[in-house]
Amino acid sequence: MSIEQSINAYRNNRVGPILRASEITEGVIEAAHEDNPGKEIRVQDKTAYVRIETEGELVLNRSTLERTIGRPFKMSELEVNLGSFAGRIETTDDYVRFYYEKTL
Amino acid sequence: MALLERNEWYDIARNTNWTPTHVTEAELFPDVMTGAKGVPVEKWEVYDEPYKTSYPEYVRIQREKDAGAYSVKAALERSRMFEDADPGWVSILKAHYGAIALGEYAAMSAEARMARFGRAPGMRNMATFGMLDENRHAQLQLYFPHEHCSKDRQFDWAHKAYHSNEWGAIAARHTFDDLFMARSATDIAVMLTFAFETGFTNMQFLGLAADAAEAGDFTFASLISSIQTDESRHAQIGGPALQVMIANGRKEEAQKLVDVGIARAWRLFSLLTGTSMDYATPLEHRKQSFKEFMLEWIVGQFERTLIDLGLDLPWYWNQMIAEFDYQHHAYQMGIWFWRPTLWWNPAAGMTPDCRDWLEEKYPGWNDSFGKVWDVIIDNLLAGRHELTLPETLPMICNMSQLPICAVPGNGWNVKDYPLDYQGRTYHFNSEIDRWVFQQDPARYRDHMSLVDRFLAGQIQPPNLMGALQYMNLAPGEIGDDAHKYAWAEAYRNNPYQKKAA
Repeated sequence: MSIEQSINAYRNNRVGPILRASEITEGVIEAAHEDNPGKEIRVQDKTAYVRIETEGELVLNRSTLERTIGRPFKMSELEVNLGSFAGRIETTDDYVRFYYEKTL
Repeated sequence: MALLERNEWYDIARNTNWTPTHVTEAELFPDVMTGAKGVPVEKWEVYDEPYKTSYPEYVRIQREKDAGAYSVKAALERSRMFEDADPGWVSILKAHYGAIALGEYAAMSAEARMARFGRAPGMRNMATFGMLDENRHAQLQLYFPHEHCSKDRQFDWAHKAYHSNEWGAIAARHTFDDLFMARSATDIAVMLTFAFETGFTNMQFLGLAADAAEAGDFTFASLISSIQTDESRHAQIGGPALQVMIANGRKEEAQKLVDVGIARAWRLFSLLTGTSMDYATPLEHRKQSFKEFMLEWIVGQFERTLIDLGLDLPWYWNQMIAEFDYQHHAYQMGIWFWRPTLWWNPAAGMTPDCRDWLEEKYPGWNDSFGKVWDVIIDNLLAGRHELTLPETLPMICNMSQLPICAVPGNGWNVKDYPLDYQGRTYHFNSEIDRWVFQQDPARYRDHMSLVDRFLAGQIQPPNLMGALQYMNLAPGEIGDDAHKYAWAEAYRNNPYQKKAA
């Protein structure tokens, strides 16, 4: 990557959770696809953590996660494996949302 | 009985802006402690923490996190991972625990200050959990290395480092004192939780976890990534504080705090994380280069968030990006050359394959840093070990407390950035470090770097032995090459040849 590209690498709109290696990762990826229809969900596996990303906004619903993970799931449980996230976050009892307000 | 969902009671429960009657508001929340910058309390009431939790949830979730971290440790205790690990990896663990563990207690104090003096109820609420988080981090990172102390006393530095005058410990204390021990609640929200925890801790606690998992150290990977899940929550204390400041005409002050925070964290972590990732991690276990991790976490993620919150890139953005290509390489030469002054054994990371990798990741490395390592290798092979050890003092930056250094060989750009202030000449590593000093000279002016102390006669006898005593480094603790110089043999009668591009 050239210096110019590095300087401008902040110009992106990628948002989404970054999970630790965990038993819920596959279920979260599946839910990301279901809850964000029509959006390209990109997954980068770095062994210790997995980036799940899309452009601008990514929503995960509790009801979807309960189905894809296959057990009752409280939204706050996501924190056990949410190592980081790209974008800003909104946390509620029913869903979590990663987003940017501005589009670059 | 059905329990209410959190959102049905949260806003009422966390509203603790009571009307004081025994003391005045200004006595209860003095400006010097709140750092509210003249923004009145009612303006802070819009503060809404985006990553919420409640006490019952906190207890349940943290219990689960701890059960996870401790059970991975217990399950792998007999795996001989530690005994079989590359010595470079063991050195990373020692450097990490010494530089971080007690810094977590400092962060706990900082969170406590926000819990008491934060100007918004939401900030105080989240900081209460943040305080408990940081206590957890200190205890975990003292407990995990403790089992190794009986086998290797350098691990004792997990607890000892911050109580010593070892130069890296001085640099870490100076940085953390500046970013969060000696700051108001609002400044802490911006500098610790936003600039530091949404930025640089991701590098050391998730980036490095990727290397740890590659190296087979699942105990460490699980531990530090678990810690980062706490950070990820309480780091969100900073964002809404920045928004309140910006909405009330304090953007310039907010920007300055962020810029100072990033500048200082960058220096310390380019030494700690940069040398760990690009030199001490065995080549076959490197997930990405340090620069690639910086572009992923700091440029692509952290800076992007900063723009979204309404701030600008730091004025030194281009300069910092340029430093991704050399600053940590320069620090690596520093820590290896001054290795007796460390509490860990630095890995040179200098096999021919390592050099090929460095050249690939940092084109031009062999023509600059490589030239210095060529001389070190020649001296080692000729049995002139004494020439690979320090006899002189480095120039120390009066801001970072780290050696002033940059690119050697072709492309030489090593330069002092001096400043005369009230009759004393200060020395800095770059325009950025000097700028930080100029933002608040009274804050920094009286500190003496290790070399200042040496020249003032505080370190006796004035030689390496006296310096080691001053740094509290006992025999059996002082650092040496992690691989006992075995790597240099690859070059005997076989000088390094740069791979054709």
